[in-house]
Amino acid sequence: MATAIRRPVRTPALRIERLSKTFGATKALDDVTIAFDRGQTHALVGSNGSGKSTLIKTLAGYHRPDPGAHAYFAGEEFDLEAPGDERPAGLRFIHQDLGLVLELSAVDNFGLKCGFSTSRGFVSWREQARRTREAIARFDLGLDVHAPLSQATPVERTIVAIAAAIQDWDEDGGLLVLDEPTAALPPVEVTELFAILDEVKAAGATIVYVSHRLDEIFQICSDVSVLRAGRLVASRAVEGLEPQDIAALMVGTDVDTEIRPTRPAAQRTDLALEARGLRGEFLRGVDLQVGHGEIVGVAGLLGSGREELPYVVAGARADIASGRLRVGDGEWSRVESGGFRHPIVPADRLREGIVGEMTIEENLALPVLSELGRGGLLRRGAERDVARESIRRVDLVPPEPDRVISTLSGGNQQKVVVARWLTEQRPLLILAEPTAGVDIAARMALFRLLIAEADRGLGVLVSSSDVDDLLHLCTRVLVLRDGVVARELAYDEITETNLLHAMEGIDS
Amino acid sequence: MSTTPTADPVQPQRSADPQASSREQAPARGSRAGALFGSALSPRRIGAVYVWAVIVLFFAIYTPDTFLTGTTVTQILNNSAITGLAALALLIPLATRTFDLSIGFVMSLSGVTAANFVANGMPLVPAVLLGLGAALVVGVINATVVVVMRVDSFIGTLATGSIIASFITMVTNEQDITDVRLTGAFSDLGQTDIGGVTLPVLYALAVVIVLWVLLEHTTTGRRLYSTGFNPDAAKLASVRVDRLRFLSLLASAFIAGVAGIALAATLGAGSPSAGQSYLLPAFAAAFLGATQIRPGRFNAIGTVIAVLVLTTGTTGLALALAPAWAADLFTGVVLIAALTLTGAERRRLRSRGSAFLRLRKRGGSTPDTPEVAS
Repeated sequence: MATAIRRPVRTPALRIERLSKTFGATKALDDVTIAFDRGQTHALVGSNGSGKSTLIKTLAGYHRPDPGAHAYFAGEEFDLEAPGDERPAGLRFIHQDLGLVLELSAVDNFGLKCGFSTSRGFVSWREQARRTREAIARFDLGLDVHAPLSQATPVERTIVAIAAAIQDWDEDGGLLVLDEPTAALPPVEVTELFAILDEVKAAGATIVYVSHRLDEIFQICSDVSVLRAGRLVASRAVEGLEPQDIAALMVGTDVDTEIRPTRPAAQRTDLALEARGLRGEFLRGVDLQVGHGEIVGVAGLLGSGREELPYVVAGARADIASGRLRVGDGEWSRVESGGFRHPIVPADRLREGIVGEMTIEENLALPVLSELGRGGLLRRGAERDVARESIRRVDLVPPEPDRVISTLSGGNQQKVVVARWLTEQRPLLILAEPTAGVDIAARMALFRLLIAEADRGLGVLVSSSDVDDLLHLCTRVLVLRDGVVARELAYDEITETNLLHAMEGIDS
Repeated sequence: MSTTPTADPVQPQRSADPQASSREQAPARGSRAGALFGSALSPRRIGAVYVWAVIVLFFAIYTPDTFLTGTTVTQILNNSAITGLAALALLIPLATRTFDLSIGFVMSLSGVTAANFVANGMPLVPAVLLGLGAALVVGVINATVVVVMRVDSFIGTLATGSIIASFITMVTNEQDITDVRLTGAFSDLGQTDIGGVTLPVLYALAVVIVLWVLLEHTTTGRRLYSTGFNPDAAKLASVRVDRLRFLSLLASAFIAGVAGIALAATLGAGSPSAGQSYLLPAFAAAFLGATQIRPGRFNAIGTVIAVLVLTTGTTGLALALAPAWAADLFTGVVLIAALTLTGAERRRLRSRGSAFLRLRKRGGSTPDTPEVAS
């Protein structure tokens, strides 16, 4: 719970006025004026697409704001439009990926971040190691500063990043921004990180804490600001708030009822997918069923198992996952046997989805090559037929099978990846992050396509961090928390508020 | 080749949809240019043929008496055969983005092995088979090291090459294997000529046809390319990536074995070091070939064109009595020039792609995409 906080005269360590940022037609930030008081831990929350990452990145100089914004650090104005290396010295950032080179040691990473100590052009490793040890000494970290950071635990890495970021700053006036530092941390290590943050704050620094996890905000933050659709909707003390209040601020008015699909309930006796006891890196025993014609969503925060579930079901994690599953009325198979494979529309389209150098047609044919061969030779006519049929089915515009796929827009690429699995007569389609990097028009087309396919009897399992996907598509959503199904929402229950409450573990 | 004819019938459909053509304008322009230049004679697809013409023209003017003869043609073909076989050996692994740097040593090994057995009185056929067998053993070792033991192919096949070299030295004591028996049927394998064209040219031609069909017209070929372009996506599309990379290293060893025996037969001797010098020209030809016919893909006919360009240059230089260093200089310069042009072309394509990404990002509805877990 909120610790008792001394409230001296509140002077802002950082004040931002009238900050807007436009990407094309989208206003990612809309006239945001916000102040972070000195010596406080200030939470910045908002759902996906609310603009909090844009705010942090604009502040760090990664994005250039729209003209007209002002920013003051310790009362002195600085230029937000200037590049990142011209920020005030007291302003420090820990980005989500920490910016460390894991193959190198703590000493090396310190050198890279804060400069190497040299004498006559040579690195003085002894001095460098001493400085590194000194910087992390206050955090009481039993870390071998010469070992590669890949051997350190996630929280140790986070602490090294923090130590490097705040080295040689004037703590009394400094401001440290942490972008979702706990996203990749197991619960035990989160406590350790909070102790470190207390330590930093005790010296008089200000902390801006970006997080998806509302429970953390109540543990360590004194103030909270909520962004929604690029606007600042609240900025106030945490004291007196309940998690539900913050959730309500993040969601706004419920408008979701209008877009919820009105499809009839699927026949649960006639299953496209049945899975029992799925376990993996994050999953700790998940059972699930997808009926024919049903679109089942999977929601959850980062680390809840939401990202992992579709891959486990697709048999792509046979090395670490276990459990039993069967598709349609087929045989049960064990995930860990490695023998089970099911197509998936992967989360990272460029890395796992498409073969960028190949044409649309070649991408479409890839998974069905064995059916397109006769005596090993590729039947070009049959391949062209498959491509034409798929292109027609997903309504790809322009319908040019010979175009190299990397020249298409993200939405069209995604259509090809989806179409690829529709060419086969399979009862089940698995998707992860189906609309990542897909523009709004293509997104709607994709939704229509999936719903049409479901109406024809296809079972669909869709895991997404984007609540919009789930609202538009699903008649049932499994909400994962800490690797288990924390709640199952159906029909009217599927609202942004309910999803958020279930993901965060707020009783409603 | 097979991709162009259908581009045109589709064109009217696209322009019938104004919204679509504006949305996809950047790539559409590209494909229209592609339709214009996509014909078989486009410099983008057979640029090396034009370079070849320039080289021929140059020597025809510079040394007309020696260059413009019928024997020059057969000489170039004969000189190309072994390099061609070596370059073709590289194609299958390269299609899967796997390097086989051991082919030079494999060539020496198979040649020495076959020559050694023939010199010791073994009949021709089993001796040749043993030579090829030795090459295949290396292929299995390479594949095991690279695919099973997960050593990077670049350094892994270099290491196995070193081991082969030591083995060859151990057996031959760095002496050429020469014997009167090698001048009979064995050397006929490399020296018999039909109208001036020697047998290795025919071997190379056979391998070209097999590889072209394999890579271009079979399902396996398509899977090999997908493995090279994006192994993760290929895996998720149920392509057995590791198995293909394993087999590709067997294929390269086998073809290199053929090349080695052809080389030994041409020399009429088993040379413990003759194969190594083919490694660099082979890579040069394979990479230059990947810029031809099917740009971006290692392919057999492109490789043939590349080998002919390089050999025409070196043969012309020899006929013009150029100093010995000129040939290597020529190979190096042509290779850098070709790869620079391809690199520029690829960057041009990619920047078009990324300009598109930027467009999408600006118009996109998810400015916060980094929050999406991947």
